[in-house]
Amino acid sequence: MRDWSPVMNLPLWVWLFVLPSFIGVVCLIVGPRLEPYLRPLWRILDRVYATSGAIAGFFMIMILTLIVIGMVARWTSVAVPGTTEFAGYAMAATSFFALCHALTRGAHIRVSIILNANDFLKKWLDLFAVFGAAVIATYFARYAIKANFFSEMLNDRTQGQDQIPEWLVSLFSLDFAGVAAGSTTLAYTPIWIPQLAMSIGTILLAIALWDTLYRMLVTGVNPIVSESVE
Amino acid sequence: MTEAYATIVFLFVLFTLLGSSIWIGLALMGVAWVGMELFTTRPAGDAMATIIWTGASSWTLTALPLFIWMGEILYRTRLSQDMFRGLAPWMRWLPGGLLHTNIAGCTIFAAVSGSSAATLTTVGKMSIPELRKRGYPEYMIVGTLAGAATLGLMIPPSLTLIVYGVSINESIIKLFMAGIIPGLVLAALFMSYIVAWHYFRPEQRPDPEPSISFGTMLAESRFLIPVLCLVFAVIGSMYFGWATATEAAAVGVLGALTLAMFQRSLTFSTFFESLMGATRTSAMIALILMGAAFLSLSMGFTGLPRALAAFIDQLNLSPITLIAALTIFYIILGMFLDGISSVVLTMAIVEPMIRQAGIDPIWFGIFIVVVVEMAQVTPPIGFNLFVLQAMTRHEIGYISKVALPMVGLMLLMIVLLVAFPGLATWLPETIR
Repeated sequence: MRDWSPVMNLPLWVWLFVLPSFIGVVCLIVGPRLEPYLRPLWRILDRVYATSGAIAGFFMIMILTLIVIGMVARWTSVAVPGTTEFAGYAMAATSFFALCHALTRGAHIRVSIILNANDFLKKWLDLFAVFGAAVIATYFARYAIKANFFSEMLNDRTQGQDQIPEWLVSLFSLDFAGVAAGSTTLAYTPIWIPQLAMSIGTILLAIALWDTLYRMLVTGVNPIVSESVE
Repeated sequence: MTEAYATIVFLFVLFTLLGSSIWIGLALMGVAWVGMELFTTRPAGDAMATIIWTGASSWTLTALPLFIWMGEILYRTRLSQDMFRGLAPWMRWLPGGLLHTNIAGCTIFAAVSGSSAATLTTVGKMSIPELRKRGYPEYMIVGTLAGAATLGLMIPPSLTLIVYGVSINESIIKLFMAGIIPGLVLAALFMSYIVAWHYFRPEQRPDPEPSISFGTMLAESRFLIPVLCLVFAVIGSMYFGWATATEAAAVGVLGALTLAMFQRSLTFSTFFESLMGATRTSAMIALILMGAAFLSLSMGFTGLPRALAAFIDQLNLSPITLIAALTIFYIILGMFLDGISSVVLTMAIVEPMIRQAGIDPIWFGIFIVVVVEMAQVTPPIGFNLFVLQAMTRHEIGYISKVALPMVGLMLLMIVLLVAFPGLATWLPETIR
């Protein structure tokens, strides 16, 4: 199992699944007494989710802009290559960045028929569901990051016509000397750059789910309230 | 034998995860993971990340968030007030009177929005109080509204059809065009129900409306006309091949923003709300699509869909029997799942089946939309029932009872579709 090779002497799965579950058990035992200590953290996390949602909204506007540019370019027969690919990346970024925001605002749907059967299920089945969802989301995030690393390692490039300037690639690689050099030569988009959205979005979704679980264990209520419509 | 074993495992894990109320998209991922680990030697996690990335960054999918956004913008304008005022003068001449505003309003809003809950809220917000004030019987108001709002799923732009088209690789424009005529026929069926009520229950008719001049009629519908222009621009640009579905959606968003601006209801906060609302809804659908993409891959590796298609083929069912069986299957599924989830969940299995049986996938898309429409108004889980419950304060039981005739009409619609497949297939064939 190379995928779970040890980090700091413990297999990765211990860090990803066992440790968060252990924190959950602590939250269950200590209960409401933890609330004053956790509240500042919750406020910060709420802001993180909202920011992530705002980034998603920005990419939604980007989709619109890119498609309009593509349309105008076609009518005026000016060549603007790669708008469809860029729109695809923006689409992925919108979806992934909005995941945690949509979760905390109750937009994601689930089958709640058994959940609403009685008060016992309402509490314990809900806890189980959030725990299960958190495990699945953590697994998803782990492999999203792995895919992202591999794209970078293999220097995977786009199959389409989309190109971005070299300095932008340097910026994402945190190679600031390269940015300062300001090379404007165009390069085919390395896939790992748009894939960053997948890594960040899935990590935030996993964090949001564990966070929801802890809040439920500490306060006894599910913080996710869905809006009446949609 | 492995197929039978695989089917049982898939179904068991699926029901356990969905039933324990894990979010649908994540539950599908869990099922897919179990399938991959048990029945294949492939690395599950790597395949998952790759297929999900490919799906999420697909260009065809970009139509989805934009159409959602267009509906969100118009939902936040004063459209619902203007809709009733604009339609009422034209409907008062029909037998059944202003009840027809429910159907006509839903049909028009369905043509700018792909969601049935948004259609229901927009039209119902205004028509329920106005119709109550005029003394129409409650069961007709609620029943016709519950039925007609499902047109939002059928008349383009339809989110269900986009998702269906993306999951089976069929042209979204063709599917949209295929939905137009059946959508209008279904609206006509709902209207004839109102007409029938008018003649069979004359004692329930309210007092006739006072007459107004033709000039006032036009003036009252001044905002409706630009919306109709927007509808024709969006659908027309796709029909005549000037724009792809995604580009038509972009035109729709710009058009909706322009309309809202002229109407002076476009403030910074409504713009921001519509944007964030659309972002959330599309993330919700995206998560389900991600789970479904992984599940389809996983089921494909096990060979289950092919085996099942071969099994169905071997039964030698006539297409009609197959459709009847699928209708019952989707009605049962729709009792627990929403339309988009039931479509993506079953497509990996059902697609090879219908292609094997020689059923036109475009026609099948329309069929499946009618069936999931029915699911929206049947208990225990029906989104329209919940929305109507919040709006009217009636019991779910009452609402589903008064909506029952509409479910009957939708069943009739399925019979019509089977008898006259041209209803769905004729228009897409005439696209330039």
